Amino acid sequence: MNLLIELFVSKATTLFLSVFSPTGALWIGITLCAYLFSLWVARKTNNNPFANPVLVTAVITGSAIVLSQRDMAAYQHDTAIIHWLLGPATVALALPMYAQWEKIRALGWRLVAAVAAGGIIAPVTAWLAVYAFDTPLAIQMTMLAKSITTPLAMEATKQIHGVPALAAVFVIVTGIVGAVLAPCVYRILSVTLPQAQGVALGSVCHAIGTAKALHMGEKTGALATLGLCLNGIMTAIVLPLLFA
Amino acid sequence: MNSFIQFLVGFILITLFYFAGELLVNLLNVPFPGTLVGLLLLLLFLFQRKRVPSVIVAGATPLLKYMTLFFVPAVLGVGVYWDDIAGSFTAIFIAIFFTTIVSLGVSAWIAQKLMAPVVSEEQE
Repeated sequence: MNLLIELFVSKATTLFLSVFSPTGALWIGITLCAYLFSLWVARKTNNNPFANPVLVTAVITGSAIVLSQRDMAAYQHDTAIIHWLLGPATVALALPMYAQWEKIRALGWRLVAAVAAGGIIAPVTAWLAVYAFDTPLAIQMTMLAKSITTPLAMEATKQIHGVPALAAVFVIVTGIVGAVLAPCVYRILSVTLPQAQGVALGSVCHAIGTAKALHMGEKTGALATLGLCLNGIMTAIVLPLLFA
Repeated sequence: MNSFIQFLVGFILITLFYFAGELLVNLLNVPFPGTLVGLLLLLLFLFQRKRVPSVIVAGATPLLKYMTLFFVPAVLGVGVYWDDIAGSFTAIFIAIFFTTIVSLGVSAWIAQKLMAPVVSEEQE
C-alpha cells in the first residue's frame, strides 16, 4: 500500500510539473497549436486519411523538437499530462460501448465470431511476418497489439514486455493503411454488406478505421465502433494471459 | 460556465473509475491493463444505472472527441526507438502494410458470411 501511495505522489508531481513549469507550458502550447492546425487540415481535406490529425500533429511537433534540438525524452516529460489523459479517455470508451449494447445482443455470437476473426488473423499474420525476418523479441511482442486502439495497445504491450511507444506508432500506421485501402480491398473481394465492412475496419484498424467507417455510412460506423471496443477488450485480456 | 462545471464533475468521475481500475490491478497483481478494468467498471456502473448520467456524458464527450491529441507524445516516442525500427525496417513494413490489407479483407469476408443471413432477415 505504501508503495502505491509513493507511486501516486511521484506521478502527481510529474503531472504538476508538466503543466506548471515553463518548458512544460511551452511544449504543451506548441502541441496544442499543432493539433488545432491538424484539425483544420483534416476538415479542409474532407477527412482524408493521410491528413490524420495524429500524423500531422506528430510531424509538426516532431519537427519543432528536432529544430530546437530538444531531447525527445525531455519533451515526453514536458507533455506528461497530455499522455496521462489517454487513461480517462480510454475509460470513457465505455459510453459508445453501452450505447451499442442492443446491437451487440441482437447479433450475438455472429458478431463476436466476426470480431474474433479479425482480432486473431491480424496479429497472427503480422507476428509471422516479423518472426520470419527474425526481428528482436520486443518488436515481435509489440506487433501483436497493433490492431487495437492505442491506449489499450500501449498498456497491453507493457504487460507482455513489448515497447509501448513503438506500439503507438505501429497501431497508427496500421490504421492509416487500412483506412486508405479498405474501399479497394472490399471491391476486390466483393464484400458489400455494410455491417461486415464496418466490423472488419473496427476490429483490424481500430479508431482510425472506425473514423473511416463512419464516413462510409451509419451502419458501417456503428459496427466499426463495436469491432473497435470488442477487439480492444478481447486482445487486451488475451495477450497478457498468453505472454505476461 | 455551468456546462464547464458539468464537464469537470463528469471528468473527475471518469478519472475515479480510471484510478479504481489501476488500484484493483495493482492490489490484485493481475496482468491486465488498469485502463481496461476502469472501462469495464464504468460499463458495469452504466448497466446498473440503466442510463448514462448527463455529467458523465459531459465529461466523456470532449475526451472522446479529442482523443487523437493524447496519442501525440506517445507517437513521438518513436524518436527514442528509431534505431530499433531502422534495424528491422523491411520486416516491420511488410508486417504492417501487407498483413493489414490481408487481414482486413479476410475478416470482412468472414464477417459477411457470418452476418449476411441475420442482417437481411432484419431488413425484410
